[in-house]
Amino acid sequence: MAQFKLSIDKREKLSYIFLVFLFIILLIGLFRLQIIEHTDLAKQSENNRIRVESIIPRRGIVTDRNGQIIIDNRPSYTVSVVPVEIVKGKTIENLSELIALDTAQIRKRIRRNMVSRYQPTPVKRDIPFEIVAILEEQYKKFPGVVYQMERVRQYNRQLGAETFTGYVGEVSENELKKISDEDVHLGSIIGKKGIEKKYDHILRGREGTKYIEITASGQLVGEYADKSKIPAEPGGNLTLSIDNDLQIACTQVFDTFCCGAIVAMDPRNGEILAMTSYPGYDANIFSSVIPESLWNEIRDDSTHPLLNRPLKGKYPPGSTVKFVGIGAGLEEGVISENSKFKPCLGGYQFGNRFFRCWKASGHGSLNAAHTLEQSCDVYMYQLGLKLGIDKLSEYYRGCGFGIKTGVDLPQEASGLNPDTKYYDKRYGKRKWTLGLVLNNSIGQGELLVTPLQLAQFFCGLANDGVVYRPHIVKKIQYFDKKEIIIKPKISFTFPFSQNTLRILQEGLKLVVEGKHGTAKRLKNEFYSIGGKTGTAENPHGDNHSWFAGVAPLDNPEIVVVAIIENAGHGSEVAAPLVGQIIKSYMTKKMEIKTVSDSLGIDSTGETE
Amino acid sequence: MTIKYSSLDWKLILAAVLLTLIGIVLIMSAQHNASTEYQQNYYQRQMIWFAIAFFIFAVIVHVPPKLFDLLAYVIYGVSIILLILVLFVGTAKMGAYGWFSFGPINFAPSDLAKIAVLFALSRFLAYTKLPVTSKRRMALTSLLVAVPVMLILKQPDLGTSLVFLVILFVLWFWSGLSPFYLLLIISPILSLVTASHWLSWSIYFVLLLIFLFSVRPGLLFGIVTVITNLAFGSVMPFLWNRLAEYQKLRILTFLDPGRDPRGAGYQIIQSKIAIGSGGIFGKGLLHGSQTRLDFLPEPHTDFIFSVLGEEFGLLGALILLFLFGVIFYRAVRIAVHCRSKFSSLLVMGAAGIIMFQFLINIGMTLGFMPVTGLPLPFVSYGGTSLVLFWSLIGFMVAAEARWQEY
Repeated sequence: MAQFKLSIDKREKLSYIFLVFLFIILLIGLFRLQIIEHTDLAKQSENNRIRVESIIPRRGIVTDRNGQIIIDNRPSYTVSVVPVEIVKGKTIENLSELIALDTAQIRKRIRRNMVSRYQPTPVKRDIPFEIVAILEEQYKKFPGVVYQMERVRQYNRQLGAETFTGYVGEVSENELKKISDEDVHLGSIIGKKGIEKKYDHILRGREGTKYIEITASGQLVGEYADKSKIPAEPGGNLTLSIDNDLQIACTQVFDTFCCGAIVAMDPRNGEILAMTSYPGYDANIFSSVIPESLWNEIRDDSTHPLLNRPLKGKYPPGSTVKFVGIGAGLEEGVISENSKFKPCLGGYQFGNRFFRCWKASGHGSLNAAHTLEQSCDVYMYQLGLKLGIDKLSEYYRGCGFGIKTGVDLPQEASGLNPDTKYYDKRYGKRKWTLGLVLNNSIGQGELLVTPLQLAQFFCGLANDGVVYRPHIVKKIQYFDKKEIIIKPKISFTFPFSQNTLRILQEGLKLVVEGKHGTAKRLKNEFYSIGGKTGTAENPHGDNHSWFAGVAPLDNPEIVVVAIIENAGHGSEVAAPLVGQIIKSYMTKKMEIKTVSDSLGIDSTGETE
Repeated sequence: MTIKYSSLDWKLILAAVLLTLIGIVLIMSAQHNASTEYQQNYYQRQMIWFAIAFFIFAVIVHVPPKLFDLLAYVIYGVSIILLILVLFVGTAKMGAYGWFSFGPINFAPSDLAKIAVLFALSRFLAYTKLPVTSKRRMALTSLLVAVPVMLILKQPDLGTSLVFLVILFVLWFWSGLSPFYLLLIISPILSLVTASHWLSWSIYFVLLLIFLFSVRPGLLFGIVTVITNLAFGSVMPFLWNRLAEYQKLRILTFLDPGRDPRGAGYQIIQSKIAIGSGGIFGKGLLHGSQTRLDFLPEPHTDFIFSVLGEEFGLLGALILLFLFGVIFYRAVRIAVHCRSKFSSLLVMGAAGIIMFQFLINIGMTLGFMPVTGLPLPFVSYGGTSLVLFWSLIGFMVAAEARWQEY
């Protein structure tokens, strides 16, 4: 056992060896951290002390042509979680209890919306202030939970304007794939429909970034000084061509009816003055997280509140499109201004089928303008047969049917304008009869139009064949005060000569002012109205009631097209409604004029 | 009895003074942004403690080591009584009961016990006639250590208990026992650690047998070693369950700091980030973001080295290591130089205490030692700890000043 007793020299030497060994270990440790892993750890130390937070810009405000609010923002609070700061068994559990959202759902939302582990991930939007107060007081109980002030969209419910405003919501994964803007990330709020969608890039603004210093316990120190924040750019404001008063007038007429659509436009420039789809929905509910039950209720409603009727509703236009057939006849030389067909005796025998006129007692012999005045079907049947299916279709196309109008709103339908090719495809070659032409000539059968297309058509008619592209945004005002004024754009011109147009406009006038006009009840002493009624046969139920009105006729400023679903004759239902709307427009205009005149101001605003 | 100031070990004193001053600066930096004024003024209190500690150091230097030799067992007895008392009237700090509170002053009797055990062991080993490897010698010295360790484990404080084992091992070694022998003695603990997995334990056991075969410590000793190793390896799961939750967590976190980054492992991760982000030159005084924004737990005590690493980088750390190196080197020199066996053992034991806490603390901040709550000698905030370490320096300086005395 001698080897276990050591001399003092040996012990001293061993002590030094041990100390050297010990220092080498510590030096290796230091070298590893401060030299090899330095870059990594320095980055980590940055992340630890600063939390990167997005500054959500104020979304642009949308007003009507007179500066009245259509879409506004209201302040709300959003609860977010910073994933890296989650404490197991505490953060999510306590939060779940507080905001009444189960833990699995919170986790799902965090996973889905996470941008970075160091950045707050929104969990619930629009939380009540009481919850914010609890989070503020008991922040220790909710490690990693933060709340942020966010603005929530507020839609003027009274307007019934959701058909063009659309709404906003959290971006979905599918949408994200299509958007290349780096500003849009999971959890971002983007426009989902309507103007909100079409002008999302303008309304949204640019997200900013701020760096916040926090302690390990999650307490805010303040804004981080070393890294300058990138300020957010507020979204641009939009001024629409909409007139809120007219919009309200359009919405109110539906009080007694189930469903329908109204489009009011200015034929001189294509501005949409009012547009409503009834029934609508409350766009505000989409601003925060919409409960599934409510969503299902809206989606499954048999009256289809989510259907954007003016742009996507496809209806047979009925007699409202008789102008096209007559115009085509005049252009093609099939008819002349005063030429007449066989008299109308209440119907027309074609082959083994009897095609009825809407007036069983018959109209007798009529010229072109009076055919429009009284909406005689028998005249149209004979004209249609002479023109043939493809000629008729060609003119429908020339008047904008079957083609998207190009309005600055998303998800527009093109309607349907059938021709030989279409029928061959649908029924097979020679498996269909010319009877279909008869239907087409009176706006029935396969021909389908959207209310917007019809409004565009009457604008063209009122504007001597020049059609301006329908548009709803008049002015864009960026946050830096830069303005873009949207100029009216001519979309196309009718394939009609001036003479043809004169005859058609004569018909337009006779519908209201003529002795036998189908809408003569709209005649009044203050201003002249033109128009056309329509009764669209609906295979699924009662007829749809159409009316297109133009006023004042000497210098048309407004076109109003209304369809009331399953309401019966156009002359009985839609015409008085349109009359009412035009009246509210003209009254307001005259009031302004009266006031201006008494003040000595030129109402047109164009002095010299 | 006067001493000549020229005979004092000024290099040693200077190293300790510099370490203490570095400590005060770091404490100030660590608590610069603290929420209470009390915390912000930690460094001022540390300065007062330094004055007290230096005064005690000066007293010790003037006291002949012979006196400690004579009073060794008395001091030992008093410290045992204090350790028992603290279990009943002590206050809790960081999950451990071990403090006497006198108003703002906290006194840990375990710090006094370190000195008391050092005295008692030095006294015993200096005069015993028993051979180095005698079982009675080992048993008696073990008993001297076991009593305070048992009492401290009851508090419970694992780190401090380990300090006592280190004192015992260092003194065994300095009184002549071969380190191989020490290795065999601690082999059951290695067996315990490796027993967490059957494969690691098998490898360890094979290595142990090879070692025994080559060193040949004697048949009986060999057999006892093998049996205790087998026993410790098999009772591990049982012992594991007896550990306090925080101890289990500390060990587990030590083994895998990433397993709970927000809990215990968080401290280690944050400390590593602090030191690593400091790089070569550091972020500068008061510019350590980890320190300033309290990502570092206890930046003024346990993790003071992390503050140094972050704010002064590798350069600052090297200076600190150098100063400790001076202390250890001088201690060994003195222990070899002085004629009194008691003084030699005392100095070596004192160096052992400093060395162990230095190793454990820095190892912890670098991430390869468990979080034990042992402060860094001279540097960490803490009055009694500062007094203890300056007392230890006092013993060294005193021994050197009277190196000729037996």
